[in-house]
Amino acid sequence: MRNNLIAIAIFSMLYWSSPAQQIEFEEYDLANGMHVILHQDNTAPVVTTSVMYHVGAKDENPERTGFAHFFEHLLFEGTENIERGEWFNIVSANGGSNNANTTADRTYYYEVFPSNNVELGLWMESERLLQPVINQIGVDTQNEVVKEEKRQRIDNSPYGALSYGIAVQPHLFKKHPYQFSVIGSMEHLDAATLEEFKAFNDKYYVPNNAVLVVAGDIDVPEVKKMINDYFGPIPKGEPVERDFAKEDPITEQITATEYDSNIQIPALALCYRTPAMTERDSYVLNMIATYLSDGKTSKLYKTMVDENKSALQVFAFNRTMEDYSMYNIFALPLGEIPLEQLEKEIDAEITKVQTDLISESDFQKLQNKMENDFVSSNSSMSGIASSLATYYMLYDDTNLINSEIEIYRGISREDIKEVANKYLQKSQRLRLEYLPQPTNN
Amino acid sequence: MKTTIFTFFLSFCASLTFAQIDRSVQPTPGPAPTINIEKPYTFKLDNGLKVMVVENHKLPKVSMTLTIDNSPIVEGDKAGVSSLTGDMLGTGTVEISKDDFNEKVDYLGASIWYGSQSAGANSLSKYFPEILELLADGAINPVFSQEEFDKKKTQLIEGVKSGEKNVAVIQRRVSSALAFGLDHPYGEFISEESINNVQLNDVITFYNTYFKPENAYLVIVGDVDGKATKKLVKEYFSDWKAEKAPQYAYSAPKDVQYSQINFIDMPNAVQSEIEVTNMVDLKMSDPDYHAALIANHILGGSFSSYLNMNLREKHGFTYGARSSLKTNTHNASSFTASTSVRNAVTDSAVVEFFKEIKRIRTEKVSEKDLANAKAKYLGNFVLALENPSTVARYALNIETKDLPKDFYKTYLEKINAVTAQDVQRVANKYFKADNARVVIAGKGSEVASKLEATGIPMLYFDTYAFPVEKPNYEQNVPEGVTVQSVLDSYLNAIGGKDKVAGLNSIQTTYTTSFNGGSLEIIEKRTSDNYAQIINMNGNPMMSVLINDQETIIKQGPNTVPVSPEMINDLQNAVGVFPELKLLSNQSVTLAGIAKVEGKDTYQIDVPGEVITTSYFYDVESGLKLKEQSITSMSGQSQTNEAFLFDYKEFDGIKLPSLKKASIGGMPVENTLSEALINIEFTAEDFK
Repeated sequence: MRNNLIAIAIFSMLYWSSPAQQIEFEEYDLANGMHVILHQDNTAPVVTTSVMYHVGAKDENPERTGFAHFFEHLLFEGTENIERGEWFNIVSANGGSNNANTTADRTYYYEVFPSNNVELGLWMESERLLQPVINQIGVDTQNEVVKEEKRQRIDNSPYGALSYGIAVQPHLFKKHPYQFSVIGSMEHLDAATLEEFKAFNDKYYVPNNAVLVVAGDIDVPEVKKMINDYFGPIPKGEPVERDFAKEDPITEQITATEYDSNIQIPALALCYRTPAMTERDSYVLNMIATYLSDGKTSKLYKTMVDENKSALQVFAFNRTMEDYSMYNIFALPLGEIPLEQLEKEIDAEITKVQTDLISESDFQKLQNKMENDFVSSNSSMSGIASSLATYYMLYDDTNLINSEIEIYRGISREDIKEVANKYLQKSQRLRLEYLPQPTNN
Repeated sequence: MKTTIFTFFLSFCASLTFAQIDRSVQPTPGPAPTINIEKPYTFKLDNGLKVMVVENHKLPKVSMTLTIDNSPIVEGDKAGVSSLTGDMLGTGTVEISKDDFNEKVDYLGASIWYGSQSAGANSLSKYFPEILELLADGAINPVFSQEEFDKKKTQLIEGVKSGEKNVAVIQRRVSSALAFGLDHPYGEFISEESINNVQLNDVITFYNTYFKPENAYLVIVGDVDGKATKKLVKEYFSDWKAEKAPQYAYSAPKDVQYSQINFIDMPNAVQSEIEVTNMVDLKMSDPDYHAALIANHILGGSFSSYLNMNLREKHGFTYGARSSLKTNTHNASSFTASTSVRNAVTDSAVVEFFKEIKRIRTEKVSEKDLANAKAKYLGNFVLALENPSTVARYALNIETKDLPKDFYKTYLEKINAVTAQDVQRVANKYFKADNARVVIAGKGSEVASKLEATGIPMLYFDTYAFPVEKPNYEQNVPEGVTVQSVLDSYLNAIGGKDKVAGLNSIQTTYTTSFNGGSLEIIEKRTSDNYAQIINMNGNPMMSVLINDQETIIKQGPNTVPVSPEMINDLQNAVGVFPELKLLSNQSVTLAGIAKVEGKDTYQIDVPGEVITTSYFYDVESGLKLKEQSITSMSGQSQTNEAFLFDYKEFDGIKLPSLKKASIGGMPVENTLSEALINIEFTAEDFK
């Protein structure tokens, strides 16, 4: 018997590895203010080159919404040295892949190449920053493409306006530009002149508003020299100032109804305005979202989908952003269940988090989940590059890529209860009924 | 002076440093990286289960996937049984209740999933033994309870329902059904009816028949030790009884005799979903495989492909156009080229699709395109090596797809050997311009006639892939029939033109139940005022109020801004009967004869800048059978329709006692619960 116990102990040891990864990186500034982060990992012959610009939907003129996302398309059109339409050819002809994405806070461009093409990636990104060609033909082409993207992702897509925040943000934000969606207004884009696009580029696409990341199979001194060659001569721009209006607290539940012609099953959305992504409370809210709806034994899933069979689906997630975040709970009823019942069931679970401490075992479960998510989030070179850029630009602490898990580990059961009380009150939220579009006849 | 020289010197230095590169020249690649494909540690259990372990200690995590390589299965009138089987696995085992099982998995921060003939898990490596044990237990010793079955069935039905209005979902469903046939595993689809045919016993039988270790592969990748893993797998999977699932063979589905459009009408579509497709006979082990990959890549497999460059970059029709060439070991592979485009360019997009397919069949691809495609495959191959599961996938493919052992060793060599002649040859073999189906789901009223004009033969199908009659948009109107005569005969049919013209007011209330609540539509009309109020469970959900001063639209309590164009167009709906005003409206046209519920009707169009309305009057009785409005704003448009039935008389005026409309695709039947004629309204009624 005793022998068996020892065997088990040894057996378990075998599988105990170091608790979390350590991602080594080096960071510095170029003379023109561009921040550079390098991460070397030679296990696979792959390299990611990426640039994140500190410009997103919130930086737009309210009469010109959609600009930041439009640039994500426009800046693939070509540069002084890359002919129009050649960008993607060059990437794929060299065995690479590339993409870009835009949020309310920042715009991100990246390429992944076999590692012998690191110089090519740096050249392309430096061209995009130094001398993109912005002309009418490019604007007109991308204008049509962006409209199709909107039709495909939002107008023709079930729950599109809900999942892209368009149905939620205008209700939660009255002063801050987070009220506008990333896709923006097609009328604004139609009305924009070429000069306006050029001015936007001159203002935001400057080295002192950007971070360059090179991650993967690199030789550090060699890559540093290349960076200096390609990015060093790019002139510094004016400093980018940001001063956004503060929101007044929400003190009374906002009720709203939105319609979607692509759905048959209505949805209930309960949305709270929560603090900036960098605040410790925001991390606590991430944990509460996981507690409520991640996994089959999470509270909302278990009661609503599994036991009561009132919901087809229920999700809670904290959409974190630089100035404020949005804590969203979405639920779809099963069959004829009215939305009011879903609301009651969700509220009952939130009240529990606000009244009682969550159980010790649920707490340990949460810790395990956060650790698993943390480990999984950096499993590819492009994932690491994107994390490094984000932690530097939006959190001002690149090393969070290694230390963020410590923030979660420092959160107590008491913190969870306190934060749930502080932010998840009925009077602080939007109650949105998202319904199938009725016919007028 | 000194300072000047110093500055000069500095800037000289600077220019020296930067002059070392010439950014007008694209950098050339460094020496090719060495590629190293490791082999997984492989072993087999006595029951037939094959196991592949790839050790990778970069992150403290592990993933495991169980795949049972059965042939595809026809589910017939019980389509949905495999899906339900997958849904029910993991809901309890002989030893552990569902709640305890889920609790354990969640507690360890891990995830486990099951399919009808597969399973998988992700975990931190420190909890790997526990998670592997749970994964095995759920797969080998499941318990199927009636309660869980009923729940999963309801959820699956809801899921199917939720896709009924999704244009892309319907397009794919009909396209597969037409290509493979409804009695082929890849052509049949799940419906509410077929799910209802499935009983708990069917699920148990399905599991007992097909969840067998003989063709099963377990792949484990991550921070584990090979030998220790072997011990664990033996411990947890040896109880799985050695048996083999029945295997079926299928003959290859046939292509159409001539290229044709297969059209599905989706009135809610703001984009058309287009797919050009034909069957191919292609396996990964075929000598043509590498050339076929390259040919598809150049046609539609990348951003810079013929299709995307034409439809997205040149014409701005779409967010993206692509093609794919699938391989299959069961005689059922296909070529598809697809895109989503706005309604107005649907026909042009089809023409451009054929243009590009013909181009790759008739013109040799350029050396540059060929070199680029090869480089892309080389890059993909290198980039994939970053993911440790790639090695396992390669090993699994060699086993299950009947590939030579050196398939991946020679892969790049074979890609490099593809010539422009090869590409043209396989393009002619696999992209069949003359035997293709163009399956389109879109808004018929806007796109069908233009598609007909392309000259490509057009067949119509419903959303379940059954052929339907071609909708008649263009039947000739008999001589003497005019807007005036159609409206007159309608007014006469409902009670006499003079009598109708003499009415002061009318109020109708239609009621229906919707989403478990009651919906009430009240309309109040005088010659100059109009009110339409939609109440949901007694609360106003939407209202349109028009009086001589203003036009108000409300959603709930909130007033929605109304454009001047919209206000103008809404005036066309005002009147005790709007037809009275249409008689003197010069812009109203007689569009032709259209079929409504099987009957011929005269279609009268009332054009507007934002709202275009059409009314359909029975050729025989003169009564109005359908109302339709198309609202277009900001480049988007939405169609609303109502079908009118069972006219009944109220104070000598005939009104439809039943209106069938749809809300978000769900049919709604509104019954006339009250009709009041010549009642007194006050100004408040229209505010």
